[in-house]
Amino acid sequence: MTTELQDPDILLVRYGELALKGGNRALFENALVRNLQGALKHVGGGEVIRRWGRIQVKPAGRWREAMRSCAQTFGIKSVSPAWNTERNLESMVAMGRRLLENKLQEYPPGSQPSFRVTVKRADKTFPMTSGELALAIADGMLDEDSTVLIQMKNADIDFNIDLRPEGTFAFLEREPGPGGLPVKTLGRGLCLLSGGIDSPVAAWCAMKRGLKVSFVSFHSPPYIGEGSRMKIRDLIRVLAEWQGPSTLHEVQFADIQLAIREGAPESLRTILYRRSMQRIASHLARRSKTGALITGENLGQVASQTLENLACIGAAANIQVLRPLITHDKEDVIALAKRIGTFDVSIRDEPDCCTVFQPRKPALRAQAPECETIEAELGLVTLEEAQVRASAKEHIHPGS
Amino acid sequence: MQPVLLDLAATSPLDPRVRECLIQHLDEVHGNPSSRHALGTRARQVVEHARRRVARCLGAEPKGIVFTSGGTESNNLGLLGSVRNRKPGRVLVGPTEHASVRTAAAQLANEGFVVETLRLKPDGQLDLDHAAERMGDDVVLVAQMLVSNELGTRYPVQRLARLARARCGRVHVHCDGVQALGKIDLDLEELGVDSLALSGHKVHGPKGQGALALGKNSQIKPLLFGGSQEEGLRPGTENVPSIAAFGLAVDLAHEGQADFNKTAEICLRDLEEALTGVSLMHQNSMDCARILQAGERVNSICAVHLPGPPAEVWQHHLEEYGVFIGVGSACQSASKAVSPVLLALGLDAGSARQIARFSFSRETTPNDIGIAASALRQVSKSLKDLS
Repeated sequence: MTTELQDPDILLVRYGELALKGGNRALFENALVRNLQGALKHVGGGEVIRRWGRIQVKPAGRWREAMRSCAQTFGIKSVSPAWNTERNLESMVAMGRRLLENKLQEYPPGSQPSFRVTVKRADKTFPMTSGELALAIADGMLDEDSTVLIQMKNADIDFNIDLRPEGTFAFLEREPGPGGLPVKTLGRGLCLLSGGIDSPVAAWCAMKRGLKVSFVSFHSPPYIGEGSRMKIRDLIRVLAEWQGPSTLHEVQFADIQLAIREGAPESLRTILYRRSMQRIASHLARRSKTGALITGENLGQVASQTLENLACIGAAANIQVLRPLITHDKEDVIALAKRIGTFDVSIRDEPDCCTVFQPRKPALRAQAPECETIEAELGLVTLEEAQVRASAKEHIHPGS
Repeated sequence: MQPVLLDLAATSPLDPRVRECLIQHLDEVHGNPSSRHALGTRARQVVEHARRRVARCLGAEPKGIVFTSGGTESNNLGLLGSVRNRKPGRVLVGPTEHASVRTAAAQLANEGFVVETLRLKPDGQLDLDHAAERMGDDVVLVAQMLVSNELGTRYPVQRLARLARARCGRVHVHCDGVQALGKIDLDLEELGVDSLALSGHKVHGPKGQGALALGKNSQIKPLLFGGSQEEGLRPGTENVPSIAAFGLAVDLAHEGQADFNKTAEICLRDLEEALTGVSLMHQNSMDCARILQAGERVNSICAVHLPGPPAEVWQHHLEEYGVFIGVGSACQSASKAVSPVLLALGLDAGSARQIARFSFSRETTPNDIGIAASALRQVSKSLKDLS
């Protein structure tokens, strides 16, 4: 008879790369624990305990939500919902049978999924070797009526026993995490966020490499409506699911666009808008001890994204610019955006630049010195400083 | 600053009397109309009172009024419900229909029906000769709106329905009457249609509430299942307060129709006059604002060509002056979102993006148009340099 499986006792959280960080290991582990505690706050809280090479999470709220949050925390390799069992063969077999019976309900009747038992023995005091114990458990779990096939490699169902000093844990599933490094361990970045597909993905890539990312968006009312502002916030809300509460700087950009439209050669408009954005973003970044700008720029994705134009735009920034997507194909970026969850928001039909500001034919090989002369003539720096002073800052929380 | 709402074909604020009715029923009527005790009976009375009210305004039988969640559901029920259980045949659909009719028709195409779109004449009116040519025994459904939500054009539904009766076999004639309610007389029998879709929030009623009015010989099958409410055509416990408020809103729209039409005529004239002063240089020639002519119209909805940049730029600039107008398409060169209705009228995509919609309700006053006129002048000054 099938009995209802109880909720798991803990979530076993494994981390990958950060274990290799030598002397900094404790720093990275502590950051990961802090980030997990932060992530759990939004799903009912819970206890995060650091053990040798592992983290154990005891969720206070719904465990599936907690597992999702853990699996969206950078630095995590995988998460398993695990059940505590007593340290004797009989209990392990009984637990194995319960988990297997439950799992088999996912398979259509008559199918024969493959099965194996894996034992890890961090606690060597148990009187059998891992191999002996695995065999004994498999032997105890399966009988003549079993519908599963034993298979050592790539088994469909892998029953795991983790013998550790603090307890014995049984589990079947491994939910993959995003990997990478814990957010904030490598410092801060400021992402120039448009409403498109690329820049949110670029921000996510930077988070994955240990940066805490803030955002700057440029808004041009009354040429662009409120819908675009809401879209930016919705994008950040999705990204905040990955890195926790996030800061947005909103800069009013219509005056600057008007000045450029009025006084600069039409073909250079887009380059000049972008250079201006880089200067404003650099300014905001320095103010908040941020080490890099992050953009979604990509070589050759649109005709104007030439090497010369990228250099000309980048030259306006006075801190380093990270371009995580620079060589990615569009399809790869789209696939990533879908995985992150930003794609559906990005494709919402809201303009990020009004047609009245767009040049008919953008320059393909802009040169920084020419741009600098025009910018000085237009007095852009003064306009930019005013907009930095007037910029608004807000915090966006996941699930808000 | 009180906002000037000139996008009232999109939605309209609750009439204070309707609001009061809604709140009163939320507070006081708790029963389920299907319950047989006194509370249920009281709720049933409220629903039936609203039904009689709506029926009276349409010259219909109360039992022919089916309460729904609004225009979209009513159009879906009218189209899909009328041909369910029928052998697939041809379906004729008006050229400027609302998306809820267009997409319901597309669904019928998926189910094996052959959907054909009727045509406009060069003056923007429905081409009845073409419609007559397309009719035949195999036509099972004709769907044509009474008033265009984008252009304000009033279409000859009565004549189309008569043609259909004469030339088709057993045909269901559905009419989207959402934008006609409170603007022109709606007599179901006179119109000769089998179903007429209505919505509450276009006439200062509650959102999420509408009705489908059915003619005497109409045969409709439900789209939802699970209860006998609304004669089985719309199962689910009735939203009693909303239905009561809808009944009142329809009544108020009906009673206020004559006065509204008089005021709307003045407003439209004032707007037309105001637009003559709005022009911009665009692509080396003087571009003037003007109302799009699209055949016989109601006075309360008009499509307006605005000069220079896409109409969305005007929309956001006017917002700064507290004036709200409607714009269908987006201000993005890459956007494909251009109204198919404007394309049906013969406009190209560029011109279609320069079209805004001004629409009035019975609360619109000539003073509002005066404020809008002054805002239009101000905005044209600030957009002058962008041409």
